[in-house]
Amino acid sequence: MTSNPNLAVDFCGVKFKNPFMLSSSPVSNTGEMVGRSFDAGWGGVAFKTVTVDRAHIIHPSPRMEGYHYGDQRLVGLQNVEQVSDRKLKDNLKDISQLKKRWPDHVVMVSIMGFSNEEWRMLAKASEDSGADLLELNFSCPHMTIEGSGYKVGQAFHLLEQYTAEVRKVVKIPIVAKMTPNITDMNEPALYAKKGGADAIAAINTIRGIASVGLDDLVPSPNVGGKGAISGYSGPAVKPVALRFIAEMAKNKELGLPISGMGGVETWIDALEFILLGATTVQVTTGIIHYGYGIIEDILEGLTDYMVSKGVRDIGELVGKALPNLHETSEFNLKRQGRADYDMTRCIGCGQCYTVCQDAGGQALTWDAAKRRPVMDEDKCLSCMVCNFVCPVEGMIKYKEMPLGWKRKDAPVL
Amino acid sequence: MEKGFDIGQAMNEANRCLLCHDAPCSKNCPAGTDPAKFIKKLRFKNITGAIRTVKTNNILGGACGVLCPTARLCEKECVSKGLDKPIQIGRIQRALIEHSWKINFSPLKKGEPNGKKVAVIGAGPAGLACSAQLAKDGFEVAVFDEHASAGGVLGFGVPNHRFDNKFLERELEDLKGLGVRFKFNTPVKTKDAFSDLKKDGYNAVFVGVGLWNATSLKKGAALEGLFTSVDFLEASKSDDKKVKDVVKGRRVAVIGGGSVAIDCAESCLELGASDVYLVYRRAFQQMPAELDERVSAQMSGVQFLLLNQPLDYISKAGRIAGVRLVRTELGPVDATGRRSPVEVKNSEWTLSADVVIEAIGNEPDAMVKEAIPAKFTGRGLLNVSDETLETSMKGVFAGGDIARGPALIVNAIADGKKAAAEIKKFVNGGGSL
Repeated sequence: MTSNPNLAVDFCGVKFKNPFMLSSSPVSNTGEMVGRSFDAGWGGVAFKTVTVDRAHIIHPSPRMEGYHYGDQRLVGLQNVEQVSDRKLKDNLKDISQLKKRWPDHVVMVSIMGFSNEEWRMLAKASEDSGADLLELNFSCPHMTIEGSGYKVGQAFHLLEQYTAEVRKVVKIPIVAKMTPNITDMNEPALYAKKGGADAIAAINTIRGIASVGLDDLVPSPNVGGKGAISGYSGPAVKPVALRFIAEMAKNKELGLPISGMGGVETWIDALEFILLGATTVQVTTGIIHYGYGIIEDILEGLTDYMVSKGVRDIGELVGKALPNLHETSEFNLKRQGRADYDMTRCIGCGQCYTVCQDAGGQALTWDAAKRRPVMDEDKCLSCMVCNFVCPVEGMIKYKEMPLGWKRKDAPVL
Repeated sequence: MEKGFDIGQAMNEANRCLLCHDAPCSKNCPAGTDPAKFIKKLRFKNITGAIRTVKTNNILGGACGVLCPTARLCEKECVSKGLDKPIQIGRIQRALIEHSWKINFSPLKKGEPNGKKVAVIGAGPAGLACSAQLAKDGFEVAVFDEHASAGGVLGFGVPNHRFDNKFLERELEDLKGLGVRFKFNTPVKTKDAFSDLKKDGYNAVFVGVGLWNATSLKKGAALEGLFTSVDFLEASKSDDKKVKDVVKGRRVAVIGGGSVAIDCAESCLELGASDVYLVYRRAFQQMPAELDERVSAQMSGVQFLLLNQPLDYISKAGRIAGVRLVRTELGPVDATGRRSPVEVKNSEWTLSADVVIEAIGNEPDAMVKEAIPAKFTGRGLLNVSDETLETSMKGVFAGGDIARGPALIVNAIADGKKAAAEIKKFVNGGGSL
């Protein structure tokens, strides 16, 4: 057992006191905000994408829409947020102040230009202001200006070209931030590597539509009577994000460190990103929902986990789950099992019966007098849907059956 | 009247529902309101459908949502109790109805006229439920009531702090779309009343007149400061200043242990009584009032004088001055299934009081027996067939308190619905008065 595990990581040669960063978004909009997040415990920031003043960014109003599920608020967040609408010199001043006042925190500056010159200028200016790393924004899903954002991320040669332009003028590490609005992220990631990127950040938001107004028929957010396909983030996208992270982390040809993000709220979410190959982890929607304070629980939860597992250094956990990730063709199909019910804990709602009838193997019958399900074990498909809907946590478990156990065939009508 | 859930809160509560395969909640609603169905609809954001379920099954769904003792009905067997606490079904139901008013949605439609006429006597819960169902089935329905407005006990017997008349008025508006005609200030109490109805071409009659004669320990005593619960609650709900002046700053004794007694006692506190004593001859455990009502009355300052049997009233110059009481102790279980009060010898004492309100039960109006030439039971209730709710008179059906004795609003609604179905069968089968 180790009592004081080390959360510090090295990412592209830059030391982080912990792997957790604000991602480039409204939560990292100003130096004042980022400073407060550092005081709260965040290890670093991807400072909200700075751009050239001539872009003259004006934010749509309103710019976000929440996606709720039942009484759970914000399982997703739809946004048409743009890059920074502040003056470049204000952003650069903030960046240099942050480095002066919080020298042991990492400032990665997200940049976006619209030409080779602009990419170079923004990169150099950021480095000169004290940036520890650069994040190249190739992935904003809803730019109001053509030839930028995710469209660059989809045009691989342009992505390589801009990366190379930046590489020419700065010494600090370059992180290319990728769009998930493609089929295979490895491809653009390899182009970024070719252009000189030192690491990959992913995922940016997924292009989506959160909802449609049923009276005005306008998709949300409703910006003066118009909707647009825009960026969708939050806990609902985490499984998609983990997939992209794992695919890149497993790719030996790529071999770059990854800054992962997409739906992180808790230490468990963060740990999953790390186990699938992320060295640093970025957060926005979780902060939009709960504020910077969630870092306390991310750090404490992760520390306690490491203590309980005897992990001394968080670096040991990076990619630790990857060896267990296979193609489905490698599954051993001889190993079969079924759902196993602890009937002493059943409260008799019958949801298991409903789903087994309509989505499973019709392995359950309903004892109306006792108000309890009765299982024909040999019909259970082990789909485990009953377990997913059961309100009594842990009442239904998966049980592996002995080799040679045979399930009854489904009857023919 | 306590504030209810808004539709968002109701939806959140519906999200806790386990959507039981064989929902016990729905089995435990006497009126057949079917909570499992409307909660599931709400859960799947089918708000208008949920409103339709409540309103179609229970014409007074809003009132029931407010007043029903859900803890011993729909919520009693709620499976969510196995995890935490039952779904607050009454509050969801009320929220749906209030929301329907907000969005101006009424699912009730008058049926295609079938040319048949039914007279409903009594505009209380039983009569209203019966009328609504018949109107939906195309009958021409006329409702007679001796009061100046509809609602029966809801309008005149439940204090404002529990049930607002504005709420009732709004809920009654939902009936308008059904084309039910009301004839207020029209008691059906004369000897010829029934033959008149026949002459007027009514094919059937439903009697739901309720029990409006308060039982009194001292019948006919014209003592100042002595009220029956019926008179007191009706007066306290109106703008009658006199009742308020009588109670304000005074010591009040309420006799009785049921929900009506609690209503009277709490109303007295609201009207500014200095002390309110609730006198009951058995113990806390045997009180017929709902547990939450008993507890909240005590919390609000009603003093329970349990195990005390009233013997007589003390008066001075025609005014109530006190109640003569004798202490009791619990004896053997009696016919009601509760332990009986046994007087303790030589324990008489006098509770001084300026006002006494008797809430010891209601009995039928003697005139009802005069007007309805049907068979009555020994308790003075209308004798009806359990199966059809028909009285001994052909084509005359009855339900609610006048047929089953004092019961809940949902029971009256259940009777009204059942009678409507039987009347339909009767009339369609060629039956007539």
